Amino acid sequence: MRILALIALIAALASPALPARAQEAAPASPDPRIKFKDGERYLRDLAESLEIPREEICLELSRYDCADKAFRIVLGGVDPYDIRIMQPLDQASLASPIAFDRVALQVCSGRVARDRADPAASILFKRAAGRPDAAWRDALADRLYDRILRRSPDAGERQRMAGFLEGLEARSDRSAKAQADQTILACFALASSAEAAFY
Amino acid sequence: MTTGRARGVSGLRAWAAVIAAAGLSVVAAGLAGPGGEAVAKPPASMEFCKIYPTAHVCAASPVVNCTTCHTVPPARNLYGEQVSANLAPGAARPLSDADYIAALPAALRAVEALDADGDGVSNLAELVAGSQPELASSRPTSARCTPGQARNAAGGRWNTCGYDPAHAYRKVTLDVCGRSPTRAETEAFRRLLPSESAWRGALADRLDQCLRTPYWLGVNGVLWNLANAKINPVDSIKAGPRAGSIPLADYEWDYNLFAWLNTGDRDVRGLLTGQDFVKRVSDSPPAFEPVPEDGMRALRQAGQTVPRDKRAGMITTRWFTTVNTMFTPIPRTTAAAAYRQYLGLDLARMQGLHPAVSEPADYDSKGVAAPACAVCHSTLDPLTYPFTRYDGIIRNNYNPNRLKNFVRTDGARVVEAPEAGEIFGQKVANLMEWSQVAANSDAFAQKVVWDYWKLMVGREPGPADQTEFTLMWKGLKAQDKFNYRTERMLHALVLTEAYGRP
Repeated sequence: MRILALIALIAALASPALPARAQEAAPASPDPRIKFKDGERYLRDLAESLEIPREEICLELSRYDCADKAFRIVLGGVDPYDIRIMQPLDQASLASPIAFDRVALQVCSGRVARDRADPAASILFKRAAGRPDAAWRDALADRLYDRILRRSPDAGERQRMAGFLEGLEARSDRSAKAQADQTILACFALASSAEAAFY
Repeated sequence: MTTGRARGVSGLRAWAAVIAAAGLSVVAAGLAGPGGEAVAKPPASMEFCKIYPTAHVCAASPVVNCTTCHTVPPARNLYGEQVSANLAPGAARPLSDADYIAALPAALRAVEALDADGDGVSNLAELVAGSQPELASSRPTSARCTPGQARNAAGGRWNTCGYDPAHAYRKVTLDVCGRSPTRAETEAFRRLLPSESAWRGALADRLDQCLRTPYWLGVNGVLWNLANAKINPVDSIKAGPRAGSIPLADYEWDYNLFAWLNTGDRDVRGLLTGQDFVKRVSDSPPAFEPVPEDGMRALRQAGQTVPRDKRAGMITTRWFTTVNTMFTPIPRTTAAAAYRQYLGLDLARMQGLHPAVSEPADYDSKGVAAPACAVCHSTLDPLTYPFTRYDGIIRNNYNPNRLKNFVRTDGARVVEAPEAGEIFGQKVANLMEWSQVAANSDAFAQKVVWDYWKLMVGREPGPADQTEFTLMWKGLKAQDKFNYRTERMLHALVLTEAYGRP
């Protein structure tokens, strides 16, 4: 239920232009060749960036690795031995974006849970001393871009992220849990962006 | 291509049944279409590229698909109808293959300036560019930017109008190492961009590092998975570690051989001509070494029992003959698999047809000499004879007298099947010669590069890729370029615009 509530909240608040839109965008490629990162590469990247062991970063039912077991085929993997899928699917399946979002949300939730459990070693979530202010929001945006997209946000991206966080804050209280939820959703917004999923 | 009309539907259905029984159901589906007689002309798929070697459809393979002229053979598409109308007009139908081939160039030339689909682009321009002359919605596209776009792109985060070294660096790290570059690595690379030699060196170094990682070379790594469709693993009959319920052979050795031949300073033609049997000594870091001949016996079901001088790389391993030849005297499936997996020619799609004179002889009495079957079997059967001396399940050995074992089940004539055969219209005495011809063919080089292209670029070579793709496969063959070393080819591939342009 908590996950559903989080998804409903982000759907209500997310601006269409929120994630990773460059301020000085290059012209659209006339012949784009981007590739899906696939589940394994995606989780390896996040495991490294968010400092979570690869084998712990995403487990469905606390048992089945998201990329290797639970969503192996829909996230671009193969299984030549049992189900005879020799190469990644040429077209993403209908379930692929659902699985991808689910993985992104689980990873972000897991990182923030670790941060709350051990604030001294936190990576993403750092509780504001008082009411979250612009500095807190900018610092969070910087951390998220640095960890997830491995770069700094430009001014426009930072501004949109701040607006997103302010929108979330207006609909929640000032508790640590509310701040953590904001962090999860902001993390999810970037971790499920095209820039994080494709290359 | 088809000519003529009017053979009974019931006769076609009977042919279709025979073809389907021979495992060529796709061809059968095409021939048994409605509307009476149609005689397929598979030689057209090869002749077309002889006439139009620069056509886009001929860049990746020396044969074109039937759909160049047909919807579902024998029904023609708009372009095929135009060609047909200009093919030896007035001559009696059906045309013989020889008459057909003689008339085809003039028919194709006659329709070059026409516009079958009415999209404003001539048939010839569409064929060269890679769009479909029979489909109005398919027109040549330009991937070029305007000068203004190019200026903006050069100053953007990604250069979408040209080769972007930073984009290529990220792609190489993800494709081959399995991870994104760290922020520090990216920033360090970007600092090299003012010096082309510096960034080229850094890109090459990154590729070399990644080519030795378990992600690329390891069990279930990228190279391993590149071989899946060639090796066709089945766990239920796997022998060796993690054996299945009916252990017959171990595919892991095939994966090892594939990875070994695709790394380092090794000739990738060994996939068809190699005689080594390779052991994975370690998976992290990945390391391989050939198994000494005197160590083979200890490997039992996993080992290679074919004598060294009778081995032909991946196509005589215990696994390959077990899953393809099984118990068949004339193992057409084996030859067709080798043709498809290593030369990119799928006989079920009527690709790579080179009919041999007086074939198929039908030594095993399977009815393949029936006209509809002979269309493909006149190529497939002589392609198969060199495989007839290699046992499949259980024995997995070379046996010059092997066919004597099949007289009771396949008739007395089966022993007359020769070991000599034909590939690409060239006569060969045995599988050793077969594999040499295959390994030195354009089709082999194209297939090797095609596999890597699809893997690295992320899609099949398209119209805009024709020049670079051709450079890659011709370079693979050239002694002074890549000389059949796939890692050298990869170093060039990551410098193509197809790879490095976002």
